[in-house]
Amino acid sequence: MKSLFAPIRSLNPTTWTGNALALAVMIFLLAPFAALIAATDWQHFHFADGDMTAIRTSLIYSGVALVLSVLAGAPLAWWLAHAQFRGKWLVDALLMLPLLTPPLALGILLSSFYGPYSPVGSLFSQAGIYLTNTAPAFVLAQIYGAMPYFVLAARAAFEGVPPELEQISRTLGRNRLQTFWLVTLPLARLGLSAGVALAWVRAMGEFGIVLIVAYFPQGIPVKLWVNLEDIGLSAVYPLLWVFFLVAVPLPVWLGLRARKHGLF
Amino acid sequence: MKIHCQLSQPILLDLQMQVRDFTVLLGLSGEGKTSLLKAISGLLPAQVSPFGELAVERRPIGYLPQGYALFPHLRAWENVAFPLSRGPKRRDEALRLLGRVGLQDLAERFPSELSGGQRQRVALARALARKPELLLLDEPTSALDMATRDEVLDELVREVHEFGIPVLAVSHDPHLALLADHMAILRHGRIAQEGPPAQVFASPLTMDVARLLGYRNFLTGQITTMDAQHALVCGLGWQLQAILQPGLSLGMRVHLVLRAEDLSLGLDPDRDHGNALRGRVRQIRREGLNLRVYVDGVASLEVLIPRGQAETLRLAVGAEVFMHVFPRHVHMITT
Repeated sequence: MKSLFAPIRSLNPTTWTGNALALAVMIFLLAPFAALIAATDWQHFHFADGDMTAIRTSLIYSGVALVLSVLAGAPLAWWLAHAQFRGKWLVDALLMLPLLTPPLALGILLSSFYGPYSPVGSLFSQAGIYLTNTAPAFVLAQIYGAMPYFVLAARAAFEGVPPELEQISRTLGRNRLQTFWLVTLPLARLGLSAGVALAWVRAMGEFGIVLIVAYFPQGIPVKLWVNLEDIGLSAVYPLLWVFFLVAVPLPVWLGLRARKHGLF
Repeated sequence: MKIHCQLSQPILLDLQMQVRDFTVLLGLSGEGKTSLLKAISGLLPAQVSPFGELAVERRPIGYLPQGYALFPHLRAWENVAFPLSRGPKRRDEALRLLGRVGLQDLAERFPSELSGGQRQRVALARALARKPELLLLDEPTSALDMATRDEVLDELVREVHEFGIPVLAVSHDPHLALLADHMAILRHGRIAQEGPPAQVFASPLTMDVARLLGYRNFLTGQITTMDAQHALVCGLGWQLQAILQPGLSLGMRVHLVLRAEDLSLGLDPDRDHGNALRGRVRQIRREGLNLRVYVDGVASLEVLIPRGQAETLRLAVGAEVFMHVFPRHVHMITT
């Protein structure tokens, strides 16, 4: 029955302009990526020295940053969605700061806050953790880049869960934690998945903050820049292809999973 | 079971009432019926007994909110299994409970694929899985279709009797109270009246209660004569005989309340009833297969008659009519 009406619907002028508009915007957004196919020198496709290390660095540390962002961000998002108090607008406004700040500036802020000459930085270095140009520094920079996005998305997701369902779960003998696990999390899964995907993309692609705080160890974004400076465009494109290849599957998989019933 | 509840937020409540078998608490919207149920189940901070000292998840109470709050991400049987502890028998137990409310065949459906009545029964089975000692129902008739409402309600009442758990249902619907074993009326945060429905419906204690129970006709007069069985109440241009009630005395001012369905219409004044009021038809409105006739006379009165009777009388707007009522259907309120 549905296919019978499909041709009629496509003749509808509003649907037609809607489709055309959507297509035009899609083309605008994706055209540069199509150009990448042409720009790549497929005959001499090869990687620069250190590219493989950069890929490994990005994958592992982005994974760590993502896990930490989600573990720390989810409770905060839940609290923001549920807490009621005077002056909440101020908290909301303050939480926008890491999002608003240009990455380069945030990097400078981080290096002066966690750097070796700051009180916090010296405290960490006494514990043997150095937060400049190290793996922990790299992860820290990515967390600052990624977590605000996750919190924003997760909060909206938690707010979308009807409080009544959480209450009913309590009357059915489940405590707060069980309720969170059995009701809140599954019902917020669409938004949470979007949040995780967003955080992953942000962490993988973070350049500005990482550049200042942790130039080393080099992840893919910094290595792209280094390749451009040292070798030229020919060394950028192969790495960029790999970047897409490793960064895209997680968001796509999350999006597909979340649309089914159940969490994962 | 005796229930006690003191609540200050979001509405002032201070009440105690009995819950026996299927009990209905009637109240207008905004009287705090939902708040009461939430307080009893522990979702609102309040002084309640029984179970007031327990955390929400420890109270042996089954709560069915309006709309039933089924978990949309779980299948019918998974909803029922929600309160059950994990184990190999979990699914069997859930299916057994679904079977008891007649829904075993729909176990794999999601709530969005169920009708209002079916959802209610899934919610009932889910609440029962908790092994409650008290069931709370919020407006159990509101999400039901008019066509199947009575059927679903009968079924619900039969089921809760079968399970043998005391039920407190809150509603604004007097019809539901008629099905109850016990009823109470919530007014201004207190219980205005409670008792068996037959008794409460026949003899409301106050005008508020009478209105809530669907009484439509109100007259105010004075007791002029009393004998062993009857009292004669007179007002301006009318007099009605009523059955004697305790606590009356000669000369007392009383309110008379009459149900629209207890009045009958005739074209002539002297019938065996004894009680007749004269009036003129102002408006006639269809109400299902009955007619609601608005009559202007000593007061504005409403009469509900079967359509057949209206046809025999050839009733029309402007016609002069007499309303008859048995003395036993004339109820007096002294406050």
